[in-house]
Amino acid sequence: MSVNGYLIVASIIFCIGALGVLMRKNLIVVFMSLELMFNAANLGLVAVSSYLNLIDGDIFVIFVMVVAAAEAAIALGIAVAFYREKGTVDIDKANELKL
Amino acid sequence: MLDSTQIYNMNLLEKGVLSVMPEAVIIIFAFIVLFLTFFEKLSKSDNPYYLSLISIGFSFIYVLMLSGRTVNGFSGSIVFNRFDVFFFIGILFSGFLTILMSKVYMDNFKLPLPEYYSLILFGVASMMFLVSSNNLIMLFLSIEFMSVTAYILTGYLKGNSRSTEAALKYFVLGTFASAFVIFGSVFIYAATGHLNLYNIHYFITSASDKGLINFGNIKIYLAIGLILFLVGLAFKMSLFPFHAWTPDAYDGAPTPVTNFMATGVKIAAFAIFLRVYSLIYNFNIMDFNNILWLLAILSMTFGNIAAIMSSNIKRLLAYSSIAQAGYILIGIIGGGYYGYSGTLFYLLAYIFMTAGAFAIVVIFENFDLMSLDIKKYSGIGYKYPFVAAAMTFFLLSLAGIPVTSGFMGKFYVFSAAIKSRYDLLVLIAFINSAFAAFYYIKIIVQMYMPDGERLIESSSTNGVQPGRGSVGADLNKSNNDFGIINGKINEGLMIVIFICLFFTLLMGIFPQIFINFAHNSINSLWSI
Repeated sequence: MSVNGYLIVASIIFCIGALGVLMRKNLIVVFMSLELMFNAANLGLVAVSSYLNLIDGDIFVIFVMVVAAAEAAIALGIAVAFYREKGTVDIDKANELKL
Repeated sequence: MLDSTQIYNMNLLEKGVLSVMPEAVIIIFAFIVLFLTFFEKLSKSDNPYYLSLISIGFSFIYVLMLSGRTVNGFSGSIVFNRFDVFFFIGILFSGFLTILMSKVYMDNFKLPLPEYYSLILFGVASMMFLVSSNNLIMLFLSIEFMSVTAYILTGYLKGNSRSTEAALKYFVLGTFASAFVIFGSVFIYAATGHLNLYNIHYFITSASDKGLINFGNIKIYLAIGLILFLVGLAFKMSLFPFHAWTPDAYDGAPTPVTNFMATGVKIAAFAIFLRVYSLIYNFNIMDFNNILWLLAILSMTFGNIAAIMSSNIKRLLAYSSIAQAGYILIGIIGGGYYGYSGTLFYLLAYIFMTAGAFAIVVIFENFDLMSLDIKKYSGIGYKYPFVAAAMTFFLLSLAGIPVTSGFMGKFYVFSAAIKSRYDLLVLIAFINSAFAAFYYIKIIVQMYMPDGERLIESSSTNGVQPGRGSVGADLNKSNNDFGIINGKINEGLMIVIFICLFFTLLMGIFPQIFINFAHNSINSLWSI
């Protein structure tokens, strides 16, 4: 089987993640969708890397996972700060900045 | 002829260390500043502030020492050449001016300062990594490193709901963009099998020479990959359809951090876009110049229309930065030697005029939200004539009036675009600059209006006094402008204004020095 199938699956997961970021109202679900987008890219990288018999893509995946973990830490920190101020994690409540 | 790298016959490790020396200095100092938190006595005084300034100075010396060389470190992941030197100098200036502005601003908030300064230093180092990265892994890592420091800095004002909200919006959209960058690299990797930008470049060149570019899935993969990559980078450059985070993040962030985002993050993003675009976009896969053409026009038009309608100065400068990104993009569209060097010149000029304007925003800002309204600026032309004159100069430079660096930048960029037969684009850009002058001059007129200040002062004192006598004194104290202490403007801010004025004027009157420097940098853009 060629690499096409894997890339199509990865693209579908990526689109689901992107739609989740744009449409969901809960902050935590938005962060989950962002992780989904990163992991879709990971799937694609692993598939391409094993198809081409190269190691670069696998190394890239490890870096992406590390970065995703760091991002999750920041994301939850921001979510906690937001919850302390508004008492909710509803993204519609982030409506103060408009002038 | 002997190359400097051959004389020393360096081994791989030495090459690697040499190629990241300026960044390494800053990162070491950032850790020292961070560890100051453990010693209460040291962190309470101004030590973190001075240490960060010194580290920028050291890094600057290293950049100048290495400036003639081309070092290729970590098996091609990081390239240090004259192109990097140009942007390193710009980024170091941006960090230096941000730190100078920060002291007087952050002293008003009861927040830990060593972390703040070390985050700024980490941000500077990450931008330098981004400029010199030559590998998709390195590019993604440094974009993330830069963005993460920017997210934290944006939300640094703990307990301030505007700052937290800005960080939230910036985070969600910034990470969304990063996901596009990495998904784009997946497809580029699938098409070419390489992650190194030069290798990708050679692969595409040889494939299109042999006519292999349409063979198999290469063309489809490359087109998808390059478009996704462009979307991700356009988010970071805040071009029009991807600009949504810019006004909110700029508005909610602490003003020195806004300056850091507007100057540092933006020029680092443009630098890497210039490198990537010139290496892997210039092939007959798709007409990317047309896409950029559309992005440039939309950014300029939208930025200027939105800026005309906004009355908050930080928002106005944010929208104006979207418009400026459109002008800078014209240089990249114009392309070639002159277009790219014009872009470099414009980016350097943009740092100084924007930093100067933000320094003046810091002076007159206070805890009152209305202090960011442009009505606040009425009458300062009589109270603080020098500051008002400086602000006038920066705004005229942003508008592109002759004798300023902004005019010369626009001149180089537009003339390169005309040389490449983009007449309509330049015409629209001209109309846009004329429109843009309207809202820049609106602020200048406001500054030299005599009556406004008295009106605002009398109305605010009337509002405070009745019934709130005891609170009145406290309110008055908290409503002091950040930059003005005992009627005098803070020295750090004055140094920022002097530096920015000096360079804006110098680049306007003797652009030859800087454009030659930019030409040299562009010459080594493609050399390993």
